[in-house]
Amino acid sequence: MRKSIIRRRSRGSEIPTASTADIAFLLILFFMVTTVFRATTLRLNITLPQAKSTERILMRRNVSYIWVDINSKVYVDDNIVPKELVAAKMAPKIWENPELIAILNVDQSVAYGIVDVILDQLKEAKAFRITFAAEFRRS
Amino acid sequence: MELRKRVKLRPGIPTASMGDVAFLILIFFLTSTVFTKDKGLKMLLPEKTAEEDIVHVKPENIVMITINPAGEIKLKATGHEDYLPPGQYDEIKTVVETKLLERDTLLVVSLRTSKEAPYKSMVEVLDQLKLAKVTTSDGRELRANKISLIPTSEE
Repeated sequence: MRKSIIRRRSRGSEIPTASTADIAFLLILFFMVTTVFRATTLRLNITLPQAKSTERILMRRNVSYIWVDINSKVYVDDNIVPKELVAAKMAPKIWENPELIAILNVDQSVAYGIVDVILDQLKEAKAFRITFAAEFRRS
Repeated sequence: MELRKRVKLRPGIPTASMGDVAFLILIFFLTSTVFTKDKGLKMLLPEKTAEEDIVHVKPENIVMITINPAGEIKLKATGHEDYLPPGQYDEIKTVVETKLLERDTLLVVSLRTSKEAPYKSMVEVLDQLKLAKVTTSDGRELRANKISLIPTSEE
């Protein structure tokens, strides 16, 4: 009878790579789900005015944007809207969410008359909570 | 015959993928974090009022600020009148603060902006009004909360 000595082979330590594929798939899925393609890129030429008392707006879900660019064109949430129809555009949003804050991103050199028309439209749509977007001014 | 001795494997949780998990979490938070970028001056618009609901304010409780198309400012309050060139509106704050101490919560600021005036000057004036803050002798904090925005047009 032979004496059998089972030689212990010293195994090199290894990192298991079996789950690499899983991780890769997870990453693919993650980026597939989170990527959002923008159909249109808005190129707005807006320089906001500066103010020292600028506050941060923390409620990001209750926000609707109104943009007025340097050529006095009015946009409501990425759509070009004639300034007389801002109320019609805002009213359904207010009806859905009465807490809505309208953020006015208006170029600093736009004439105040246009802002006034928009404020009037917002009053008509009962969008009373507004914010004049501004950059923080240091000094 | 010697029986093969079973080497008892200690159970353990593999820790090799720890790094992957950490990276995954890192990337997840990198992509999902959004910093608030919206900032500005908050305002609450008044409701449209009927003719009979209009409140009359005594002239001594009013600070009237008029902005002309060039961005120049006329600051008018009882016993005080000032003309300020564009970009030098710092005095508004001090005037409003003294008036706040004098008139307490009754103070109304009437901001009359010409329709041709640049939006910038209106925001700068509003900024000054927002910055005005005084503490009364009995420890209350007063701000110029009552601001009425009135458009004016040059004839």
